[in-house]
Amino acid sequence: MHPGIRTHRRRLLRGLAAAAIAVPLVLGAAACGDDEGGGSTSDPNAPVRLSVFYWGSEARAKLTEDALNAYKAKHPNVDFEVTWQANQGYADKLATLAAGGDVPDLFALDDNMLADFATRNVTADLTEYKGGKIDVSKFPPSLVEYGMVDGKLVGISAGENTQGLVYNKTLLTKNGLPEPTTGQTWEQHIDWAAQVAAKTKVPGTQDPSADYKAFWVWIRQQGKDLYSGKELGFTADDLAKWFTLWKGARDKGATPTPDIIHEGNVTDISKQLVVTGKAGTSWVWANQMPELKKNTKDELGVVAYPGDPSGQWARSSMYWSVARGSDKKDAAVDVINFLVNDQEAVNILGTDRGLPSNIDLRTAFASTVSDPNMKLSIQVENDLASKFGKAPQVPPKGHSTFRSELVKAAENVQFGRATPEKAAADLIAVVQPKLG
Amino acid sequence: MALTTAEQPSVRASRAPGIPVKRRGSRRGRRSEAVAGYVFLSPWLLGLMAVTAVPMLLSLYISFTSYDILSPLSEVEWVGLENYKRMFTADPSYWRSVTVTVSFALIAVPLKLAVALGVALLLNRAWRGVGLFRGLFYLPSLIGGSVALAIVWVNMFNREGAFNGFLALFGIEGKPWVNDPTWALETLMVLAIWQFGAPMVIFLAGLKQVPTELYEAASVDGAGRFRQFVSVTLPMLSPVIFFNLVLETINGFQGFTAAFVLSNGTGGPVDSTLMYTLNLYIKGFTDYEMGYASAMAWVFLLAIGIITAVFFTTGRFWVHYSDGDDR
Repeated sequence: MHPGIRTHRRRLLRGLAAAAIAVPLVLGAAACGDDEGGGSTSDPNAPVRLSVFYWGSEARAKLTEDALNAYKAKHPNVDFEVTWQANQGYADKLATLAAGGDVPDLFALDDNMLADFATRNVTADLTEYKGGKIDVSKFPPSLVEYGMVDGKLVGISAGENTQGLVYNKTLLTKNGLPEPTTGQTWEQHIDWAAQVAAKTKVPGTQDPSADYKAFWVWIRQQGKDLYSGKELGFTADDLAKWFTLWKGARDKGATPTPDIIHEGNVTDISKQLVVTGKAGTSWVWANQMPELKKNTKDELGVVAYPGDPSGQWARSSMYWSVARGSDKKDAAVDVINFLVNDQEAVNILGTDRGLPSNIDLRTAFASTVSDPNMKLSIQVENDLASKFGKAPQVPPKGHSTFRSELVKAAENVQFGRATPEKAAADLIAVVQPKLG
Repeated sequence: MALTTAEQPSVRASRAPGIPVKRRGSRRGRRSEAVAGYVFLSPWLLGLMAVTAVPMLLSLYISFTSYDILSPLSEVEWVGLENYKRMFTADPSYWRSVTVTVSFALIAVPLKLAVALGVALLLNRAWRGVGLFRGLFYLPSLIGGSVALAIVWVNMFNREGAFNGFLALFGIEGKPWVNDPTWALETLMVLAIWQFGAPMVIFLAGLKQVPTELYEAASVDGAGRFRQFVSVTLPMLSPVIFFNLVLETINGFQGFTAAFVLSNGTGGPVDSTLMYTLNLYIKGFTDYEMGYASAMAWVFLLAIGIITAVFFTTGRFWVHYSDGDDR
């Protein structure tokens, strides 16, 4: 080979290697300022195009589209640009849009993100619309309060739900086992789950020690709460007791092996252990029952989480919020009002985002429901309504860190990598400074 | 291309009276040459500035602030070296992700290169249909960074996966590989090693360049297969090995997609797949600490730069360039 070509090759190889180092791996968030929203459109009939963003399944997308079309039929000047995606990654996407100064006019949030976005001024303050363009007078008071952050109304409740323990009815009847009931103690539930496991070889219940909403109910039943202002409302001792409770359940064989528990520790409905057949019970929101049913042939039932049901509350399952930087706030607010206060929209949307927030419309809607699973989830929530406790405060900024750290801590205990006490202390040390 | 543009100005310069003709052209000629060069470069240069340099500098600035990605950039607070200090002193997850990433690179990269070289040696023969095999072995790399492949991997290596089904044929009880903190990272390593196609193709090209007369001479001197491999193939191939090593090390450190998909973006179970870049993503987009995430990115850039510099420095002791200009 010609020596010149060799030199060339050598240079080329070196050059390529050097170029590889230069490959940009530094993230650059080119952020633009998020301007305070300009004036509202003065002419209510001028053409408006609203961007809408929410998370959910295909089924929810269909229902939402129908509801928005119903609005469009009444207001032909309004047009929608709808984007939706799965729950996983939704908050990340919204944050990226916010960084680019491109928040959609109308978007969905839940209590896990509300404070994060509200305290950083992504959401518009809707207080001035209350009683005017947005009617919340027919909402249960807790649903309205639950949309307030630092005294501002930042989200309008799109529905109401509460924690629900969904169990596999077919599995139980087939084996002549009793069904769980609302009001059972935690110990009774664990013993029952062990009994199910012994008889059916399917662990009776998912281990919910990584699940913040289960811990939340339990800690409220101990007379405390998840948060007290901008601090954690419980101690490392409390959390260690929670982990120990479920360690005991695992030792009795009531719950699955740690890797199966890990599989169920996702928000994805289709991966909940009660529908994948890997556990008899899953810890979800009561209104998710009809959606879970679509993923399994077995009959399902739903009751409250164990312990005194006053640990649960009428929770706003989701909110509609308006971008602070939107220049179409009036139009966006009008759409929200339609979605929550119009019988036609309420009937279309059903219980997909929870029971309708407007109590009058909820009652009218409930009488028209024919789907037995939807009927059951409405009935269970209505039965619980009289037993609910007071709604807690909206979780503060940093709640998302608490949720991911709880999964980590609980799995550390489940896989035997940390004692309940160590895992609990580590969690407090990481989470406490992030709250605020 | 570069040569032709270099000639033209000097020709024009030679026509000017009183200016001696020089081989490389006059100063003025050289300057207009430079201007022309930059003009031709400008599309790329502008792109580099806008898409790479400006965001990078911005992220350097952000790394000294408490930027949370949601608030306007004009409202961020300058925190000095706080982010960097926290990384090294007060964030256990940071060191966890460093450990995960380093062990991933230390094990997966050498094994991947060994497999790539081994397969390249096998395919460097004049067999019938060897072209087909080359294509087949390269295939996994084509779909390499894809999300779909990572999902397939999760389903192959969970408790009910195909891999455990295969083990069951031999009466071996499998493990829930991807859902077990002891094995999740190893599963990712296997995935990385399986995608050996790119370095293999480069090795193959390198092997074709080794002059056959060297092997002939070696066998005349009585060298066996193994001796030929150690004394001829390896030294002749060392520049290509060096190239692949640098490239794959950088790739290894940057592994993100598979870890993200396998763990649903959490780095779990129990932080076992918390690669550095995944941790960086979580900090920036889930915990809304973009200032801290930017600081992590800069430390990462620096670390990879140092590792690569070490490769280049030590390379001169083992990389053999056969053009007689060895340093």
